[in-house]
Amino acid sequence: MKFDPDTELVARVGKGDRVAAQALMARHLPGMLRLARRMLASQAEAEDCVQDAFLKVWTHARRWKPGQAKFETWLYRVTLNQCYDRLRKKPALGLEAAAEVADLAPAADVVLEKVGLAEEVQNALGTLPERQRAAILLCHYQEHGNIEAAEILGVSVEALESLLARARRTLRMKLSHLRSR
Amino acid sequence: MIENRKQEARFADEALGLLPSVAVPSALEARILADFDRIAARHAPGRLRRLFLRWRDDLWPGAPLWKPASVLALSLAIGVMAGVLMPMSDLAASTSSEQQYAAGDAPPVVNMAGDL
Repeated sequence: MKFDPDTELVARVGKGDRVAAQALMARHLPGMLRLARRMLASQAEAEDCVQDAFLKVWTHARRWKPGQAKFETWLYRVTLNQCYDRLRKKPALGLEAAAEVADLAPAADVVLEKVGLAEEVQNALGTLPERQRAAILLCHYQEHGNIEAAEILGVSVEALESLLARARRTLRMKLSHLRSR
Repeated sequence: MIENRKQEARFADEALGLLPSVAVPSALEARILADFDRIAARHAPGRLRRLFLRWRDDLWPGAPLWKPASVLALSLAIGVMAGVLMPMSDLAASTSSEQQYAAGDAPPVVNMAGDL
């Protein structure tokens, strides 16, 4: 059985331990929000999605059985499913809200260029099919290994590698003009 | 082919690296914790359960709840069975013997003047 660093925290959360809930949140919230934000490209939708995912954690923590699946894998799968649900309800949202960019501080021209590039990348990411987008985000952004990313997506490692290859090829095609800058 | 894939992977890494970081708003943390508090309050034990849990901790610290609960239930069942199955004649017999004991327990009447 794989060691799961979250097992103890989840058990404590199930008993109503607020400190454990805060620790669990501190450990996973940034990664989950980043994934949701890139999947949905809207801050508000991403926040709602992550909040719903944590609501599931709070509700199911009492019944969590360690050893069945790694908690983090389950958590990211829940987050992704929340994202898929929202994408299916509002398919256009990803691109409409792509212009939303997080706070940046440096000089204005650098910021504008960065914002422009970020927007282009976010737009290109938004055109990828859901599963390809999820695959590339899990592997490149969340720094999950291929095996863990495949588990989260519920596919084989070979299928994940195929999704990744297609996603990278599409990104390269869509952003080929950036290489000349 | 492999080289091409490596280049694509490197390009994807660089492109994704251009995206700004995502900060976690404190309002979101507060909302999530408020959800936790609401659910924890819903699952918090009632007064009777809290009393039972305290009794359990005094009697059998660290034991799962079912252990003291089953011991309590078993002793209750034995008590009820003994009460129901005990024959009435035994009760009557015990009553008369109690009366005898009570008579025997009474202080002896001593005639102080006669003894002297």
